[in-house]
Amino acid sequence: MRSSSSMAWSKRLDRATLALAWLAALGLLFLVAMIAFGVLLRYVFAIPILGANEIVELAAVVVVMAALPYCTAERAHVGVDVFDPMLGRWGRLAGDVLSRLLSGFVLGVLVWRAVLKAIDAWRWGDATNMLSMPIWPFYAVLAAGAALCVVVFAMQIVIAVAAGEAA
Amino acid sequence: MSPVQVGLVGIACLFALMILRTPVAFAMLLVGFFGTWALEGFRSAGGLLLTESYSAVSGYTLVVVPMFILLGNVSTAAGFSRGLYDAAYAWVGRFRGGLASASVIGCAAFSAVSGSSVATAVTLGKVALPEMRRLGYADSLATGSVAAGGTLGFLIPPSTGFVLYAILTEQSVGRLFMAGILPGLLLMALFMLTVWIVATLFPQTGPRGEALAYRERFRLLGDALPLIGVIVVSIGGIYIGAFTPVEASGVGAALVILLAVATRSLSLASFRDAVLDTLRTSAMLYTIVIGANVLNPFFAVTRIPDALGAGLTALGLGAYGTLLMIILGYVVLGMFMDGLSMLVITIPIVFPIIMQLGFDPIWFGVVAVIVIEMGMITPPVGLNVFVVRGVAEDVPLTTIFRGVAPFLFAMIVGLVIIVAFPSVALLIPNSMFG
Amino acid sequence: EDLKFANYMAATHPYVGGTFEPFAKSVEQKTDGKLKVTLYNGGELGSGPAEQYSRVVDDVAELAVSLPGYTSSKFPLTLVTELPGVIDEDTGTKTIWNHIDLFQSEFRRVKLVSLWSSAENILYTRDEAVKSPDDIKGMKIRVPSRNTGKLVEAWGGTPVSMPVSEIYNAMQTGVIDGAMIDGTATRAFKLGEVAKYLTVGMETTISPFYIIMNRDAFENLTDDEKSAIESAGRKASELGHEVQVTEAKKGIEAFADMDGKTLIRLSDDQAAAFDKISEKVTKQVVQQQGDQAEKIVDALGSK
Ligand code: NA
Ligand code: NA
Repeated sequence: MRSSSSMAWSKRLDRATLALAWLAALGLLFLVAMIAFGVLLRYVFAIPILGANEIVELAAVVVVMAALPYCTAERAHVGVDVFDPMLGRWGRLAGDVLSRLLSGFVLGVLVWRAVLKAIDAWRWGDATNMLSMPIWPFYAVLAAGAALCVVVFAMQIVIAVAAGEAA
Repeated sequence: MSPVQVGLVGIACLFALMILRTPVAFAMLLVGFFGTWALEGFRSAGGLLLTESYSAVSGYTLVVVPMFILLGNVSTAAGFSRGLYDAAYAWVGRFRGGLASASVIGCAAFSAVSGSSVATAVTLGKVALPEMRRLGYADSLATGSVAAGGTLGFLIPPSTGFVLYAILTEQSVGRLFMAGILPGLLLMALFMLTVWIVATLFPQTGPRGEALAYRERFRLLGDALPLIGVIVVSIGGIYIGAFTPVEASGVGAALVILLAVATRSLSLASFRDAVLDTLRTSAMLYTIVIGANVLNPFFAVTRIPDALGAGLTALGLGAYGTLLMIILGYVVLGMFMDGLSMLVITIPIVFPIIMQLGFDPIWFGVVAVIVIEMGMITPPVGLNVFVVRGVAEDVPLTTIFRGVAPFLFAMIVGLVIIVAFPSVALLIPNSMFG
Repeated sequence: EDLKFANYMAATHPYVGGTFEPFAKSVEQKTDGKLKVTLYNGGELGSGPAEQYSRVVDDVAELAVSLPGYTSSKFPLTLVTELPGVIDEDTGTKTIWNHIDLFQSEFRRVKLVSLWSSAENILYTRDEAVKSPDDIKGMKIRVPSRNTGKLVEAWGGTPVSMPVSEIYNAMQTGVIDGAMIDGTATRAFKLGEVAKYLTVGMETTISPFYIIMNRDAFENLTDDEKSAIESAGRKASELGHEVQVTEAKKGIEAFADMDGKTLIRLSDDQAAAFDKISEKVTKQVVQQQGDQAEKIVDALGSK
């Protein structure tokens, strides 16, 4: 009963991370188009975009932060695996739970600070240098991506503890 | 506890976390964050976390990472990479480890337009690794040759490493660039020799292919032309000054997508997979960059490098003894720190000592760059190894570190040659600039 | 107490020995060693000049140096001082400090410790001499700030924004044809190696620098310590100005002395062709900023 409800939650979480990954995918294709188009404008039409790199930079924030929860949910982060046999089943479980607790805490701090920063940037009207685009939405994206990562970590802890085994 | 002691505890924790399966990026992030908390307080640690995360993900030059990964993924999905490696195999496959050597040459060629080791390893890794494995190469040799070949990115000009060294020591960038050429080619040759030795000792790591008729070879080369065309346009564009590296990566990715669509060699499903894989790998690599950016300021505040520098001058070992200690110190720091940050923190301490001992500043620039490049492939924190792990997801990290080991040995040999014969580094700059 | 001073420039930069170290020493002396300032050079506390402001606001460092131009949206009024013709290269810092209250409102999130006007941005070009706005037509020129971008655009060039660390590679490979930056770049960023020509003599932008302090960290100091920071900071403004202007002049001379390099000093007539266009840019930007900006231009004009 309990495990089936946690399965349902896990599925919902997968859908959320994937949905955000599609946003990242849009951002990625936009980046490709933006960079290639910028080159085209400059060479073929001699129209440079002053501050085009600001668009590239902000798009990169969306691409990376929207992809991070998906990356984390897919367990794509690189770790050292050589000591696994020595740790034993309980050692691996303890290690996985501990690293996720600590990482979740640090990302939680990041979310909190990023939210404050987004509010701050919005209140003071912080904008990019050349194009004067508002910066606060991008701190908000950073906060959202990191927050969903924290949820992913929490879910991975629940699943590992329920199974009594590291993934 | 003194800051140095906190730093040492931090290093111990870094090890412990990695043993406990904490992903490398988060191990660095945790030690950097908690270490800064211990030394500077909670607010500072949170501030560092925020500014470094934001500046990493909004960094302009890092955009080459997702772009080149996408280029590699799409060309793999569309079968272009396969064509390229079939052609390479037809030409060099009958030599022992021929494809691994070809990949090293590919790295060197890419280094000649890219100033970054990571970009070199990403680009070559994405194209070369799946193909080498398909053609029967052992994971260790395939990944090792690409991770090591990537280190040529800093040595062969242009090089972000040399530009930074020049600014830190008030030397000429031009001279340093020229000084990097011969050592870069020397290392490339040593890497190819390493491939040959490994493939001779362990024939199953780099199996020989059969010799093909020239007719067949040229046919395969023709099949590889589309991808070669994309590479020539985008990379060649950097050579002739048409694009910056970021622009080249974006143009390259756009061209390869257009090409795949035009030749109808890419299904929607495989394009989707290529994009999702790009996102996964890019997010993973960016997280490592964030981790390194949070960890490095912590090490700066512990002042461990200063302590090492002070201990060094106290020893009074003579010129070559001190040089050896400096190199060993770099190797130790390189195990944990990212190369460029290491230069920034150590050069102001080390450079005056080197000058006092009467060494040539340009020559030492080459030595320093080789040593920090070694740090990119030494465990536990080896950025190039992580990059290669990111593009070859099912290969265990230990296999890659094992595969890199012989190349690390080759770098040591190269370093000994350059210390024994400084003219390897100085011949070109001295004859060009007098 | 130990204050961390975040500096993104290399330890060899003339500012370090000529301005920041004297500042640190002065603070220490004036407080009998109770306050210590430790310099972290070359971006040891995190790289990139653009994030320096955040580093102070977010408590990564108590003190930091940077240029308001990197975060233009926060400093529209301070940046009025960089417009061509508003202040004079030699007396700029004094003029600014005579009217410092006009700018304080923009620094309310931090404590303004030092502010100095820099040396003029001049034009380094890769392989074509520039003597008139016509010569610039179609050239891709790196600019350090939005105002400089507007200037280059008005002169007929194509402004490209790019961090200072990338100028060398971009100019060597021909991605840009020239760069607007002050004269220290000949040596500090090695532009003497990649540029063939250097054009000086027209009115251009003069980008100011600041040293700022975390507001809470400042408020927590005793009154004596506060005044130590303030007076050391005031002195650092003068030193910073002096170092920059002297080094920029040396950089220009060093360029002229290098083999195969040509320094172009515009004649009054040649300069006038640029200045006529620049004057319009200044007027236009000031007009967009509104009354406050016009008040600043009037005040600074009266010195
Ligand atoms: Na290179
Ligand atoms: Na390492």
